[in-house]
Amino acid sequence: MSTTDTTATDVRFAEVATRARRNPRRRSSRRNDPRLLLFVLPAAVLYLWLVLWPTVQAVQYSLTDWDGLSVAYRNLGLANYDRLLGGDTVFGQAFGNSLKFMLAVVIGQTTLSLVLAMALQRNTRTNIALRALYFFPTVLSSVSVAFVWSFVYDPTFGLANSLLSAVGLDSWQQPWLGDQSRAIYYLAIVQIWFHAGQMMVVYIAGLQTIPADLYEAADLDGVTRWQRFRHITWPLVAPATAIVVAYTTIQSFKAFDLIFASTGGGPNHATEILSTLIYNSAFRNFEFGYAAAQSVIFVVLIALVTVLQQRAVALSARRA
Amino acid sequence: MNHVLSAGRPGRTPVSRRSFLAGLGATGAGAMLAACGGPGATATPSSSASTGGTGSGTVGGVTNFYHWRSEDRAALDSLAAGFAARYPGASVTQTIDPSEQYQSTAAQKARDGSIGDALTAFRGTQFNQFTEQDILADLSGSVAVGNYVANLITPGAQDGTQYGFPYQLIFNMPLLNTDLAEKAGVSEVPKDWDAYLGMLDALKGSGVDPIAWPGNDPANAFQIINTLAMNNGPTPEMFIGIQDGTYKATDDWWITSLTQFQQLSAYFQQNFAGASNDGVLALYSQGRAAILPTGTYQLAQVRAAGGSFPIDLAPLITTAAGTTPAFEGVFNATFILAVNAAAKNPAGARAWVEFLSEPANAAAYANATSQHVTVKDVTYENPDLQALAPWVEKKTLLAPRFQFTDADIRSAVENSLVAVVTGSSPEQAAEAAQAIIDEKRGG
Repeated sequence: MSTTDTTATDVRFAEVATRARRNPRRRSSRRNDPRLLLFVLPAAVLYLWLVLWPTVQAVQYSLTDWDGLSVAYRNLGLANYDRLLGGDTVFGQAFGNSLKFMLAVVIGQTTLSLVLAMALQRNTRTNIALRALYFFPTVLSSVSVAFVWSFVYDPTFGLANSLLSAVGLDSWQQPWLGDQSRAIYYLAIVQIWFHAGQMMVVYIAGLQTIPADLYEAADLDGVTRWQRFRHITWPLVAPATAIVVAYTTIQSFKAFDLIFASTGGGPNHATEILSTLIYNSAFRNFEFGYAAAQSVIFVVLIALVTVLQQRAVALSARRA
Repeated sequence: MNHVLSAGRPGRTPVSRRSFLAGLGATGAGAMLAACGGPGATATPSSSASTGGTGSGTVGGVTNFYHWRSEDRAALDSLAAGFAARYPGASVTQTIDPSEQYQSTAAQKARDGSIGDALTAFRGTQFNQFTEQDILADLSGSVAVGNYVANLITPGAQDGTQYGFPYQLIFNMPLLNTDLAEKAGVSEVPKDWDAYLGMLDALKGSGVDPIAWPGNDPANAFQIINTLAMNNGPTPEMFIGIQDGTYKATDDWWITSLTQFQQLSAYFQQNFAGASNDGVLALYSQGRAAILPTGTYQLAQVRAAGGSFPIDLAPLITTAAGTTPAFEGVFNATFILAVNAAAKNPAGARAWVEFLSEPANAAAYANATSQHVTVKDVTYENPDLQALAPWVEKKTLLAPRFQFTDADIRSAVENSLVAVVTGSSPEQAAEAAQAIIDEKRGG
């Protein structure tokens, strides 16, 4: 592309951008053929029926004492929310555990997947084989992963304590998932192992879009590896980071099956997260109305945390 | 994208994106209004629920039996073959869910009769739920009633109506490897608390883990609460009392129980808090631990895992020497056989329950599954069942753990056991438990 072409293109982009800034709310004046909407209709109907309607119903259930089975129920107003926010110790504990689990998984998984992606970015045969290897846990079912790691963490016959014993570190042996103060972090390690390969793929795609000439120019300027990462890689991989962080956050909040199959939320609610608590309220205690109120707060929390995280990632990239 | 969407033709009514979105919004609002029809709107029980399950008519066709014991599948298939031989044209299929799932979803799945012509219920919460939802047919007039030991089928009755027959007679008490006990110099099961601790000291001194406790498996770990509380509780209904507010977790009797449990934990295997059921089962079956503190429902699993040693029951006798305990042990009558009120094949379901209730068939079930049964005149051929048969005649209490009908309150009480073995004092653990109970009770 010649310099003249580049200038003309820049001018056109600038004009479009200016018009967009002047009329931020202006909609396209072009009209659509109504028949084309038929293509959207099946997905829209399914979405309304399977997602929106149940969501709206959950809000309504949350205002009742419905047990999930009976036809009869009573409207309680905001009593379920009062109970949740004012006097439910276990909900508070599950809320705290969810945040701990989320933070551990987001930090650990984002870091590990970025490190793996940077190490395996080039398309060599070995790297492609290793990418497949690291991606492999993602295709397993959560329950299988839970069982595999239950064997690893078993204090008597498990791999973790056996390895410690083999290297003479018997005093470091742990009850692992029975340790109330750390069990949630041990489960976070499992979650990171489970999905880091998946996020690595997202990062590799992001890293491969960074122009190589930027690195060449930086090398000519004699920058350090850290400076290369901080001023080139990190800001330019920010869109991928935003996806990874948002996806990991939501995934960590919803890690129901892994935790349910590993510990069931125990011991003494030490690994209870909001999704396992909601299950227990709905299917062990048959308090569907109360479980629905917990779900509503859960949805609000996920939305809030995701928005905050996206802003944090964007801010971090701008500062870099 | 815009090029495709804007490919309108002359003569067609154009629709802007805004109006399309408005249309979606209106549909969403409609969905919201529809949703406000009420939670129960889509869950109306089948109208056949009140009329089905009478069991009159010819026995034939397929009867579906819905339960949670996958380990009994072969034994029940064998019995089903006998049923089909007696009733030509009739057959029995099994639908088996894992026990956790069965407790959560069986009522929803079975209420319209689509599965579970005949079905089972756990004693306590689930049985109450089934009767409240009118899922169970009245079996008061069944010929099977007379086949059972009368006082063992009361958990299957409510307000004078017999809705089901608790089939299994389980002893939820610690299993003692008597070979290891004898090697440690213990010749008989202790009759008081000091003697019990003495036995554990002797076992520990002999080089084995006295108790293999599955701390990471609540369903099995907290069976120990049954004998721990049986003689400590102020009344046999101690946990009903905690749930209804008559008693508190901070009462002396529960603090005493927590203190005794804390003493007991000194004899658990290393890192017990994270132990799974499979792990402790292996420890016990391999003879590396002397006591499995769960119950006779694990006998078959111990044998399957290679444990060939003699077994006796060693309930926690928490009373002082010289005091006669009120109860020698606990039992549970569960796996409640019932007929679905909405059964598609009520005659077949009723005939199947009555067939299982016959002494010969109950004996076949018991011997194949290593479970005692509540049916009278059963001859046990299984050596384990023969060895433990004397417990049927002893003074035992219906397992108090299943008095809880609120899972949160039960968890609070059970978790106080975890708390005392992981660093809390009995008083702190009791207060934490009572705080949750108060929240749950709205107090």
